[in-house]
Amino acid sequence: MLFHTWIFLPFFLVTYAVYLILNRTKLRNVWILIVSYAFYGWWNPLYLILMAYSTVVDYIVLALMEKSNSRSRKKWAAVSILNNLFLLGFFKYGAFLTENVNLLLTRLGSSYVIEAPSWLLPVALSFYVFKSVGYVVDCYRGDVPRETNFIRHAVFVSFFPILIAGPIERAANLLPQFRKPTRITTGDIADGLSLFIVGLFKKVALADCMALYVDKVYDAPGQWQSAALVLATLAFTWQIYFDFSGYTDMARGIGRMMGFQIMRNFNHPYLATGLGDFWRRWHISLSTWFRDYVYIPLGGNRKGKFNTYRNLFLAMVISGLWHGAAWTFIIWGALHAAGLMLTRQLERNAFYRDSLPKVIKQAWVFVFVSFAWIFFRADSWSTACLIVSKIFTAGWSDPRFPMLFAILICAVWSYQAVCESRLKYILKTTGVQIGMAVLMIIYLALFAPATGQPFIYNQF
Amino acid sequence: MARQDDTMSFASHQMRLSARHWLVVAVIIALLFALIGPLWQRIERFEPGADYRIPYELSSDYWLYDRYCRRAVDTYKVLIVGDSVVWGHYVPPDKTLSHCLNEIAGKQQFANMGIDGVHPVALAGLVKYYGKALSDTKIVLCFNPLWITSKKHDLRSDKEFSFNHPRLAPQFVPKIACYSNPTPNRIGIVIERNTDFLSWVSHVQITYFDNMDLSSWTVEHPRRNPLTAVTGQLPAPAASNDQRPTWNPDSTARQDFAWVDLETSLQWEFFKRSISTLAKRRNNVFVLITPFNEHMMSRRSLAAYNRIKNQMADWLQEEQIEFLIPPALPSEHYADASHPLASGYALLAQQLCRHERFRSTILDSTGESK
Repeated sequence: MLFHTWIFLPFFLVTYAVYLILNRTKLRNVWILIVSYAFYGWWNPLYLILMAYSTVVDYIVLALMEKSNSRSRKKWAAVSILNNLFLLGFFKYGAFLTENVNLLLTRLGSSYVIEAPSWLLPVALSFYVFKSVGYVVDCYRGDVPRETNFIRHAVFVSFFPILIAGPIERAANLLPQFRKPTRITTGDIADGLSLFIVGLFKKVALADCMALYVDKVYDAPGQWQSAALVLATLAFTWQIYFDFSGYTDMARGIGRMMGFQIMRNFNHPYLATGLGDFWRRWHISLSTWFRDYVYIPLGGNRKGKFNTYRNLFLAMVISGLWHGAAWTFIIWGALHAAGLMLTRQLERNAFYRDSLPKVIKQAWVFVFVSFAWIFFRADSWSTACLIVSKIFTAGWSDPRFPMLFAILICAVWSYQAVCESRLKYILKTTGVQIGMAVLMIIYLALFAPATGQPFIYNQF
Repeated sequence: MARQDDTMSFASHQMRLSARHWLVVAVIIALLFALIGPLWQRIERFEPGADYRIPYELSSDYWLYDRYCRRAVDTYKVLIVGDSVVWGHYVPPDKTLSHCLNEIAGKQQFANMGIDGVHPVALAGLVKYYGKALSDTKIVLCFNPLWITSKKHDLRSDKEFSFNHPRLAPQFVPKIACYSNPTPNRIGIVIERNTDFLSWVSHVQITYFDNMDLSSWTVEHPRRNPLTAVTGQLPAPAASNDQRPTWNPDSTARQDFAWVDLETSLQWEFFKRSISTLAKRRNNVFVLITPFNEHMMSRRSLAAYNRIKNQMADWLQEEQIEFLIPPALPSEHYADASHPLASGYALLAQQLCRHERFRSTILDSTGESK
């Protein structure tokens, strides 16, 4: 079930109506759990087994951890983390691992072939696994108290607005919100609606639009020349942003209407002036997760330049792998690691840091990020290489890029620039706010594609 | 936990409307949704002249059909409703059944309200959702026996396949096993056919954007300004359909149709629903079972068909519905199994006008009712 499909409308209306009735009762969390499992089971009821298994194991392990001494606590934390990583490895990386082991065996002259697993990758597995791991680590560190109520624990793992593609919420922020009834004001409903409509517009009117051109070019890159490949890459750069940030806005909007405060996940990432800045603005919940649970535990920047860069590199490569079980994602992570290191070095230079115009920094970061997206979007390593080589070697024939899309991209970029400028007060005036909302709804009703494409990040 | 206060940045965008703002937005949107259809009818010229029929390429433009119904009810005395046999699949607009009847009547009395491919299940949806204007008028409702020649035609096949006008078919109840469409899309269809604005959006897409949404259209036409595509001019009905007849009167090959049982037929059931819907709207309904090409049937098939015709007649008599089940036209007047050629329509019109009950209920009283 996706937020931007018609089925979600009756689902949410029923969910919300009952939620408002039960909000001040003990049944509220039970209701959220039921609808969250119904929401997730809509894809495939078998997925529920896995989520329920992860939830139960973590709940038991955390209970045992609480009763243990410090040495055993570490063991129990390890059990939970390994269990979650095993789920991820088994379902997400099983095929990738066997494929590469088989390749290695062939290179070594062996005729032995391991049969590749053919099971389905449950949607959103990476998201709830990371959420659970974060919670277990926080409990182990003593940063958050263990949730003793099983329903609340299960709701934390499965909370439907953020289940499918995040944000990867922290227990410290989300769990306490399940402990007492939320106070829902008309302001919350209005805010939730504002977030939801903007998110819907980003997804349906912008991301799905871009997808039409991107898919056309990336499905047959050999048939296109440089201009089309460059424009399709730029279109994908915007598509993935609109798609993912649109999802997040909708998730936060739904949460807000239910009285929950869900963290921000994006902050105009394409206006970043460095790669570090980019990752503080892009998928904030994931980058902070990697910072807190991978980069800092590895040593962070505390043990010299080499170790800092090594830690950065490892965190980014694992982040790439988190996105998908393919070498293209690892390369994408490695490219970002390289970009981060380069940015860190450049920012030590006074001229770069203080004198270079901001717009130039923004431009190079945007170009770099767009270039890295090629590896993220391409079906395979060879396709990515073909696209990169054709961008630099093929001719510049008519890319047949729709003018309408160019206008939309320019409009959004200008909007974001105004958002970060002194003129942003204009966007806050009543007339502009109402006008924009009306225009977005009319545009959605009139012109939006009827494809109902899934969110890109669903697959992760 | 203390709620995060509003000093926390709300979102990366600046759109944050208050409840009052949203109320204003809702009023504006509601007004636009309510007014855009009627306003559009003033902008877009629609002048269905003599022998008008919905253009073939606009067959799935149900908003236009609705508009045509409103116009036809005011202009014509009798509306002929049905599928491609009424529409005139192999003939130009001036050779259709309605044209032939108008010729006999000597004036424009009969409107061609046929839509190509609209089988009875779809017809029931068309009448229910887009034919609300059909009230207090005379209607000749046509049933083409083609739709009961097999389980597949009757939409009772277990195997999924794509059939005509799925947007008019029931989306949930009764369940049509051969109809495949994800639930969200089905809900979308239900919402669309109950929302005039969304039907109008479909009309714009079908008429001006090659039945595509704007984004898909702009990918196909990257340099074109979408506004220039919206000309406000509806396409005229094609002079004739370029499909060639498939029936060869000299053919000796006979087909053995797998006629479905009328008792369990889905198409017949929905045809009955259409009669009921139209009758409830105080229409004077005359049923015409369009003449099927019996010359192409095997003896066994013909016997089964005759039984079915008798069953139909029995039911219609029981329900006191005026009807005609004309005999088959001569072989040379058919284009295929069910579609007459121009000469066939002329003959059928004559048969109808000679039919006593048609004369008394439809022809003779046409002047009185309008």
